[in-house]
Amino acid sequence: MTRRLIVLATLVALLIAAAIAELALGAVKVPPGEVLDILFGSGKAGPNHQIVESLRLPRTVEALVVGAALGVAGAILQGALANPLASPDVIGVTGGSGFGAILIIVLFPEKIALLPIGALFFGLLAAALVFAFAWTGRNRGAIAKVVLAGIAMLSLFTAGTTGLLAAFPEKAPSAIFFLAGGLTSSGWENLETTWPYFLVGAILVAFLIRPLDRLALGDDVAASLGSRPQLIRLGAAVAAAFLAAASAAIAGLLAFLGLVVPHVVRMAGKTSSQTFVVPASALGGAALLAGADTLARTVRSPVELPVGPFMVILGVPVFLWLLRRAL
Amino acid sequence: MEAAAQISAPLALEAYDVQVKIGGTPIVHDASFQVRPGELVAVVGPNGAGKSTLVRSVCGMQRPSAGAIAWLGTEIGALSGRELARLRAFVPQRMPVPAGVTVREAVTIGRSSQLRMLGRMTRADRDAIERAMARAEVGRFAERALTTLSGGELQRVQIAIGLAQEAPVLIADEPTSQLDLGATVEVAALLRNLTAEGLTVLLVVHDLALAAAIADTVIVVSKGRTVATGPPREVLTPELLAEVWHADAWLSERDGRTALHVAWLGQR
Repeated sequence: MTRRLIVLATLVALLIAAAIAELALGAVKVPPGEVLDILFGSGKAGPNHQIVESLRLPRTVEALVVGAALGVAGAILQGALANPLASPDVIGVTGGSGFGAILIIVLFPEKIALLPIGALFFGLLAAALVFAFAWTGRNRGAIAKVVLAGIAMLSLFTAGTTGLLAAFPEKAPSAIFFLAGGLTSSGWENLETTWPYFLVGAILVAFLIRPLDRLALGDDVAASLGSRPQLIRLGAAVAAAFLAAASAAIAGLLAFLGLVVPHVVRMAGKTSSQTFVVPASALGGAALLAGADTLARTVRSPVELPVGPFMVILGVPVFLWLLRRAL
Repeated sequence: MEAAAQISAPLALEAYDVQVKIGGTPIVHDASFQVRPGELVAVVGPNGAGKSTLVRSVCGMQRPSAGAIAWLGTEIGALSGRELARLRAFVPQRMPVPAGVTVREAVTIGRSSQLRMLGRMTRADRDAIERAMARAEVGRFAERALTTLSGGELQRVQIAIGLAQEAPVLIADEPTSQLDLGATVEVAALLRNLTAEGLTVLLVVHDLALAAAIADTVIVVSKGRTVATGPPREVLTPELLAEVWHADAWLSERDGRTALHVAWLGQR
């Protein structure tokens, strides 16, 4: 119990540190004290105030929300599908969102503001198709069926994306940034469109934590306890689809985060109880994305690296090291 | 007066003319049986006879295609999952063993069936968890991870998870089939003790000698039908063993010890 509290407290500390760094660092360095003054409304007006409030604050909030959402989406999918490889990839969301974004970039470049909507819509569409195939007919909601339908849909939409890029190679440079995954300093606009999806996802997750713990003991035990295993799985997949599609709309494809963060918190907390793993994955995902984004913005400043590959390159060695020690 | 009270007490479980299909294939053709409160009932039968499917369907885990099932007099269709979880606990043959879950956490999950959505554990719930662990004798290793337990210990934990539901009926699907002799004896004694404490127990069992030793009533399932019901001594006759299992065998009992004498290599 104390171990879990220590892990949670550490994650909160990391999150606060990452958020302050994200707000303070960049081409213009703002001292952390001044950042706090600006946040709490007592800072004096000026260029620093402008930079922190209208550029860095929305980006920081985006990083925290997307990081938390992807961490949670990975945690509940890995629980619901009893599969350590599960991430928003396996319910088709990543493939669909990528396709939707590239479709806008290629076919409607003059309406680039629609990109988040395209990513959100096709991400949810891909997930809906997975659910339509996986939760009907024989063995509905069986794990293998969900995963296979998801991988099939991922392949289909990825083929669509690749096809579009092959047909319009001149658009590839602007597509790369989305596919690699990264945040932008574009104000509150993206969050204004996507917040209801994050909210619905978060509410569903709150109701799913306990049923998911039952599911960890198998479908039979969950059924004995009065739950319906296929319904829990569907609920978890819907929640993850909302969280992941809204995240893709803001930050492109960052599937790695959803895969890795839940494993790291499980290893750190030495438990797979969802009452711990879900909140810890939210904190860890938020801290990781905000921290990685700060680094991606600052290491080669003024060039901004996309945070997706950057996070993977930094994250994989750490993850493999943890894996060697824990498993 | 006492006899009248017994007659009017509702049966713990009734199943009439139950049929179950899985993926269109009929598995249970016609099964009827009753379980009285406080009994230990063993469902026996050859492999593939439909024992597990029948038991799962009366538990509400597999929808029957025809027939009637009632728990304490209430038709199963009228019961919600949560209500059903208060009436019966189902202990599967072998649950998956997730990493990073302790015995106490697993039993706590068993208790979560009694909570409202998002509701918190009360003192009464914590007491029920302790009681369940004590009754199933798993308190000694309550803080150990499930992954470190032996087969017998794990089976007792599974029973503790079921007991945490505090339902009047416990149903177990072949609880001893993967256990060695010592662990089987332990689990058998545990189930018999639980019955003595007032729990109603329904088991799917393969071992006929074990069924004869611990059951008040055996239900024989053959080819998807319930073919015989009654006290083991009366039901498990050499004739029935020959007809249902196609084996030349007989049961003996002396001083609470039972044995199945089998002509393994046919008639000598």
